[in-house]
Amino acid sequence: MGERFGQRLGVVALHVVVISGALLTVAPIAFMIYSSFKTTTEIFTLPPWLPPAEWSFKNYETLLTTWHFTYWYANSIIYAGVVTVFVLFFCSLAGFAFAKYFFRGKNFLFIILIGSTMIPFQLILIPLFILMSRIDWVNHPASMIIPWMAPAFGIFLMRQYIQAVPSELMESARIDGASEFRIYAQVIVPLVRPGLTTLAILTFLGSWNSYIWPLMVLRGNEVITLPVGIATMRSQATASQIPYGEMMAAATLVSVPVIVLFLMLQRYFISGLTIGAVKG
Amino acid sequence: MVQAAMTRGREARGGGGFQQHKLAPYAFISPFYVLFAFFFLAPSLIALVLSLFRWDGINDPRFVLARNYGRLVSDKVFAQVATNTAIYAIASLLIVLPLALVLAVLLNSKSLRFSNVWRAMYFTPVVTSTVAITLVFQILYSRDTGLLNAPLIYLGLEPIYWLGDRSWAKVAIIILIAWRSTGLLTIYFLAGLQSIPEELYEAASIDGASMLQKFFRITIPMLRPIILFVSIIVLLSSIQIFDEPQILTQGGPANSTMSVVQYLYERGYTRLRLGFASAVGTVLFATVFILSLLQLQWYGVFRKED
Repeated sequence: MGERFGQRLGVVALHVVVISGALLTVAPIAFMIYSSFKTTTEIFTLPPWLPPAEWSFKNYETLLTTWHFTYWYANSIIYAGVVTVFVLFFCSLAGFAFAKYFFRGKNFLFIILIGSTMIPFQLILIPLFILMSRIDWVNHPASMIIPWMAPAFGIFLMRQYIQAVPSELMESARIDGASEFRIYAQVIVPLVRPGLTTLAILTFLGSWNSYIWPLMVLRGNEVITLPVGIATMRSQATASQIPYGEMMAAATLVSVPVIVLFLMLQRYFISGLTIGAVKG
Repeated sequence: MVQAAMTRGREARGGGGFQQHKLAPYAFISPFYVLFAFFFLAPSLIALVLSLFRWDGINDPRFVLARNYGRLVSDKVFAQVATNTAIYAIASLLIVLPLALVLAVLLNSKSLRFSNVWRAMYFTPVVTSTVAITLVFQILYSRDTGLLNAPLIYLGLEPIYWLGDRSWAKVAIIILIAWRSTGLLTIYFLAGLQSIPEELYEAASIDGASMLQKFFRITIPMLRPIILFVSIIVLLSSIQIFDEPQILTQGGPANSTMSVVQYLYERGYTRLRLGFASAVGTVLFATVFILSLLQLQWYGVFRKED
């Protein structure tokens, strides 16, 4: 009986530890959402769980009326959306080629693909920026889209998924006279939807949350993205008048939709992250 | 067998179709190589060449051989930012990684109810915008009214000047990194835990092994490849850190939280010392390259175990 009691105590302790850690993890997000309904003075008043004097969407209204928030939001959606569409197309196409074809130089080309992931983005930060200014892409949406349309990791990911598709399906389509591209579009793509969903989530999120690159290449309220815009809200204000209330409303609008999306598509997201780690 | 099937397919079609079959894969992979050559390989080579020049982007570049590297080595600020970055990396390895490992084991426990709910809560930081959450932490770190100082304030003690003190500011960045990355590492460890056969634990239970014994004698040794893989991911992402110190402290006070990438950005983009910044990038590249080679080595390790 003592042993069973000890086991029960262990289970209770396990729950206490796990649940308090989980609450601690989401606390800053809860604080952010809660603060978005408060004035800046109220945000800096202890204790933080004190409700605002007046529940209002004033921060959200100011955000939409005095800042170019709708532009930032639209820009972020457009850049991330367009990049995602291209990434899905180019990566699945290349992943298909690497998974299902035998061609001269394949191994060498694949080594280049994997090797390219070793170039840290920071090495090319300055020269890529110089290149962008030479071809007049600074402040142009192309700089946010074209260089990022075919990431190596996406090709690798799609190759993993497409390898699992039985080659017999391709062969029978080929005997029916389907072109190689039609085999891709009508046989492969429908069968690797989970892989495409995974890649779409990872790509969209990466673009949506990216900061240093848009910070460098985009200027002016009409073209910048959400993270850059929110950071601007602080840097443009004088120290004593930083609009924390509005910034919390903005932070909520940037992160909450993405968190909801994540909760709905968690399975795909996690399989995308771990495919390289475990399956190799 | 697959190859035989492919050959048969080819023979069945003949003529123009045969050509198409041969050329199609090259067409399919070409977008990557075109973009890679133009936007990654060419800039990388430019960076290597540029690191041997002095250039402000306006006047003619001047060849200075290895002088940029010489300056880099003797620059006190670079020494400082390299130390800061190393501190972030070591803190992530020694604090975040073990935390994530223990958390994964707890989340994997069969007696845990509603495990999916808690997992989802732990994973949310992975998808949350760094800029957004860093601004939230900035409020939490505020000296006189921040939540993190609230206990000290209520006890009438001296509050910590989180973002104004050279040491505490580093701690503040590390806490933020821990918040942001623990969930991600937990995802990797949970995936690794799935691959440990249940029988090992059952056998250990029959032998009367305790929870701790199972953890140190079964879980850790079995997860060794994953732990190595995650360590390298942690090192790579620590070396490339930018967003957190840029938003939270702007690298201050007195460069005490500035990372190598922030330094590169500041020298290259803000001050237009393009050659010098390229030298910083090259040093960063060499570091990442060596670590990536190690990482590929571990990929090999995984493949054997698969």
